[in-house]
Amino acid sequence: MAKQSPAQRLFTLTCCLLAAPRLGLSKQEIYDSVQAYADSSDDAREKMFERDKSSLREMGVALEVIEVDAFEEQSAHRYLIAKGSFDWPKDLELSPEQFQLLELAARAWNNRLMAPSAQSGLTRLKALGVVPNSRELSVFTPRLIARHQSFDPLAIAISQGQQVSFSYRKADADASVRLIDPQKLRFIEGQWVLLGLENGELKNFLLRRIVSEVKILGQVAQISDPASIAQAEAELAKFIDQQVAVIALRTESEAWWHFGAPADSEVTLTFMDEALLAEDLMEFGTDLRVVSPKSLADRILRGLERVVSDHA
Amino acid sequence: MPKQEIDGEELFNLALSIVGLVLKNGPHNTSELAEHFGFSEQTIKKAVLTIANSEDVGNFKTHFYLDDELLDDGEVDFSVAESMLTEPPVLSKRQVTALAAGLDYIASLAQFANNPALKELRELVGDSTTSVVRKVAGNREAELMAQLQRAVMNQVAIECEYVNQLGERSTRTIDPLRLDFVLEKHYLRGFCHKNQAVRSFRIDRIVNLRVTANPISEDSKALEIPLEVFGTESTELSVKISAEPEAAQIFWNFPSYSQVITKDGRLVGEISVGSLQALGRHITRYGGLVKVIEPPEAVSAVREFAQAALAPEIAPENED
Repeated sequence: MAKQSPAQRLFTLTCCLLAAPRLGLSKQEIYDSVQAYADSSDDAREKMFERDKSSLREMGVALEVIEVDAFEEQSAHRYLIAKGSFDWPKDLELSPEQFQLLELAARAWNNRLMAPSAQSGLTRLKALGVVPNSRELSVFTPRLIARHQSFDPLAIAISQGQQVSFSYRKADADASVRLIDPQKLRFIEGQWVLLGLENGELKNFLLRRIVSEVKILGQVAQISDPASIAQAEAELAKFIDQQVAVIALRTESEAWWHFGAPADSEVTLTFMDEALLAEDLMEFGTDLRVVSPKSLADRILRGLERVVSDHA
Repeated sequence: MPKQEIDGEELFNLALSIVGLVLKNGPHNTSELAEHFGFSEQTIKKAVLTIANSEDVGNFKTHFYLDDELLDDGEVDFSVAESMLTEPPVLSKRQVTALAAGLDYIASLAQFANNPALKELRELVGDSTTSVVRKVAGNREAELMAQLQRAVMNQVAIECEYVNQLGERSTRTIDPLRLDFVLEKHYLRGFCHKNQAVRSFRIDRIVNLRVTANPISEDSKALEIPLEVFGTESTELSVKISAEPEAAQIFWNFPSYSQVITKDGRLVGEISVGSLQALGRHITRYGGLVKVIEPPEAVSAVREFAQAALAPEIAPENED
C-alpha cells in the first residue's frame, strides 16, 4: 500500500480514536493501528504523533490524555476523544440566506491566520448540505483588516488557552505592563477589542493601544464562563449607549452628508471611547462643532492645537 | 473559483465534511461536491481517498467502504463499516472566532443592521448576544447601499453628484461594478465616465443618486478591479511621517513604499499621498499622534488644515 499522506494519517487517527474503547488507546495501540506510524521509525513517529495531536486540537477535536496505573511507562498514557467534540446542536439548520451571510463573513477575512480558519469552518458547516440559492450578496466585497501586530499572537494565545503580557497605554495615561488571560477578540465600532481577564476581572483592551509586542507566556489561561463573557459584553454595550455626544453640522458639508444629512443639522452619537470619537470628528475640520459633552470639545481643541504646534 | 492546492489539515477537514454530507444526503457526483465545497474535482477525489484509506491496520478494521469503480466514474458513494465517525467535529475555537468576527463585522454594516437571518446566525455561530452598536442612527447609507446593490446586480449605470475629499462637488455617471467595505469606510468601485477610468467612491459622499435604465458597457463588465481601494496616481507625493504606535494604522491607510522603522518608540516611514489638502485631514485626525517631517509644503498643509479647524465656520450657539 502507498504511504499515507498527512491528511490520511489525521483521518485514520481520528477514526481509530473514535472507535476506541471507553478507556482510550495507548500510544502503542495507536502506532500499530495507523499505517503511517506503523511504517515509520521510532523517532519519526514520535514527532509525527506530537504534531498530529496539536493539529487535531487546533481543528477542534478535543483529544484527551488520561493517566492510568501501568507497569510499563509506554502504556501509562491513554488517548481518547472527549465527548462533545462531534456533538452538533440538535436541529441545527441554516437557511440558504444564512449560508450566504456566512460565506460573506468568511470572504471578509484578510488575515493569514484567520482567513483559513473561517474557510475551514465554512467547509465544515457545508456538511449540513445547504446550497446558497442566490448571488445577491456577491456584489459585496467586505474586507476585515486585522493588521495590528498584536492580532496574530492574541488569536493564537486564545485558541491555545495561554496567558499573554503586553504594554498598554490608555488615552491620556502612561503605558503599563499587563498580564492577561485572553478570552475573545471582537470588532466594535471599527476597532479590534480584546476581552480578557486581568486579576480575575473581565476588561476590554483596544488593540490599537497595545504598544509593545504581545508575549505568549506558556502559562495556561483561566477561561471565563460564557455567562460572564455575555455579561461583560452587555455591560460594554450599555456603557456605549450611555456615552452620548451632540454634534452640530454645517449643512450640505461633507460631514453633514456623512452623518446622514439630518434636517436640523445636528446629530446625536453614542461612542465607546472619547479619544477615538475625537479622531473621527477632527477629520472633518471646519464642517462641525461639538455641542456636548464639553470634555469632547476640549479634547478636540487640545488635539488641534497640538497639530498646529507640531507643524509650526 | 476552485482552489487547487490545500494543505494536509484542510484536506483532513474537507474529508470529515464530505463524510458528514454524504452520510446525511446520500451519494454525490465529484462535480457536485466540487461546486458545493468550492474545491477542484481533483481535490475532492483526494479527500475521498483519504476517507477510503483509513484502515486500522493493527486490528484489520475497515472504517469506510468505498466503491472505487464508481469513484473512477465521478461518483462518491461509501458506507460506514466499523467507523464511529458520522459528522465532522464541531467548529474549533478559532473557526468560531473567525466566523463570529466576520459576522460581527457584517452586522455593523448599515444594510445588514436589522437582518433577522443574520441576528439568528450570530446567536448560533457566535456566542455573542449583544448587538454591535452603531455610531449613527439613520438610514441614508442603508438606502444608498440598497440602490447601489440593485444597480450592480442589474448592470445599469448610475448618475449622482459626488463630493470629493477636497469638498468639491461634481456630477458623475458611473458604471457600478462592486461594493467594498474596508473597515468602517464603504466604497463603490466603478468605471467613471468623466475620468474614463475605474475609480473608488466613498458611499457617504454620494449625493442625489439616481439609478438609470442604461446598461453598462461590455468594456466595463470585463474590467478587473484591484483589491486595494487607493489608486496609483501619477501626481503622488512621498511624505515622511512619524507616528505613535497607537496611530500605526496610518501606514496601512495609505500606500507605503518605504520600510517603517521604530525610532525612540515612534514609527517612522513614508506614505504616498494624492493631494496635500487631503493629507491635512488625515494627519489632523490623530490630534498630535502623527507628525509630518518633510517635505515642508506637507508640513504647512497640515498646519493650515488644523488652524482652519480651530476656527470653525459654524458659529457657536451662544455667540453674541
